[in-house]
Amino acid sequence: MMRRLLIMGLLLLPGIAAAENDGDMLLSVKPVLCITDSRTPSCDMSFLVVWQSGDSGYYCLFSDFDDAPVRCWNEDREGRLNDPRTVENNFSYWMTGDDHGLRLAQVNVEVLRLDSDDRRRRRRTRHVWDIN
Amino acid sequence: MFIRIFQLALLSCLLQAGFSVADEQGQTGEEPGESRWRLGAALGYGVRSNPLVQSDDIPIVVDLDIAWFGDHWFFDNGDLGVTFADNDRLTASLIARVNSDQIFFGKTDTRFVAFDFTGMPLAEAVDFKVPDRDYAVELGLELLTDGPWGRLQASTFHDVSDTHGGYEVYLDYSYGWREQRWYIEPSIGASYKSDALNDYYWGVREDEAGVVVAPYEASAGINVHARLMMGYQLSRHWSLSLITEYERINDEAAASPIVEDRNVLGYFAGVAYRFR
Repeated sequence: MMRRLLIMGLLLLPGIAAAENDGDMLLSVKPVLCITDSRTPSCDMSFLVVWQSGDSGYYCLFSDFDDAPVRCWNEDREGRLNDPRTVENNFSYWMTGDDHGLRLAQVNVEVLRLDSDDRRRRRRTRHVWDIN
Repeated sequence: MFIRIFQLALLSCLLQAGFSVADEQGQTGEEPGESRWRLGAALGYGVRSNPLVQSDDIPIVVDLDIAWFGDHWFFDNGDLGVTFADNDRLTASLIARVNSDQIFFGKTDTRFVAFDFTGMPLAEAVDFKVPDRDYAVELGLELLTDGPWGRLQASTFHDVSDTHGGYEVYLDYSYGWREQRWYIEPSIGASYKSDALNDYYWGVREDEAGVVVAPYEASAGINVHARLMMGYQLSRHWSLSLITEYERINDEAAASPIVEDRNVLGYFAGVAYRFR
């Protein structure tokens, strides 16, 4: 119950964590937004992945980085792990059961570049709030 | 009323163009590239102080960001430019713009004054208003360069509308730090205002002078400014912004009888949306 509350609590933080519930599977990832710019072209961070299912069983966590699962759990109904990654592009985590082709829940992580190679976009005008 | 209608029209254009940005990215089916448009709006509260006597501060509640960048031509919030050099070291553009000094003169009041310019009481109070000043269309050259050391913007603009007949040389240096969602960027700079420009906006002509203000002729001077921007990216489109600005008006302008405070302070805090 506490875990479910924790996951639901993460849902209340928009942009920081995201969770998807497909049937009985609840998957949450934090963070789901990573910011890059010309000085830091990649994100070097640890993603907290938390999942919970209504039924105990064999479940695997996958990501776009590898065909093999990041980790599998046997006869479990919940799990969590920290997945350190260096990323430059959008990617996804998803959970499967016995059938690895069937995604029970998926969360997309977005890599957002906030500056531009075009210097003109960074010129100072008389605009007050512009910061990107 | 007219300003509100104009703002609504601008907002409408912004939304239309925003949908164009979305279409532009949605049609490719590929990873979206950088759109030529930069569109956004910020809602919050801010104020820019007015250095003129008998004037009101300039409130900022809604701020629109409308810009388009082509290979050579660009439009950036009122500035129209054409880029003729762009390489690893610098970007050089010719730019047409409207001078920003006029903005203070749009927020002045007429009041009854009971003292003359020497401080002596008048037999009868007279009404006085800061004289009007026009916008000037200026043409200039802008150089942008950057590196690990920060960003430098240098420009020079000359009046081409026969309004003040003067010129300005502007320099601004900034350095930004980003730590994931947080961004902070201090900047400092200076602008040299020529005799003609300074005198047009801050001087008092013979026919404008009277018992309240004496004639005044302003020579050239240098304004200095500093700015601190802080931002927090909430999501792909939304961010929080906090900006504080300070500008010290040059000695010649500050000594004008129509100037009350040589320090121009500004701030804005709000939430911003950007079409991506």
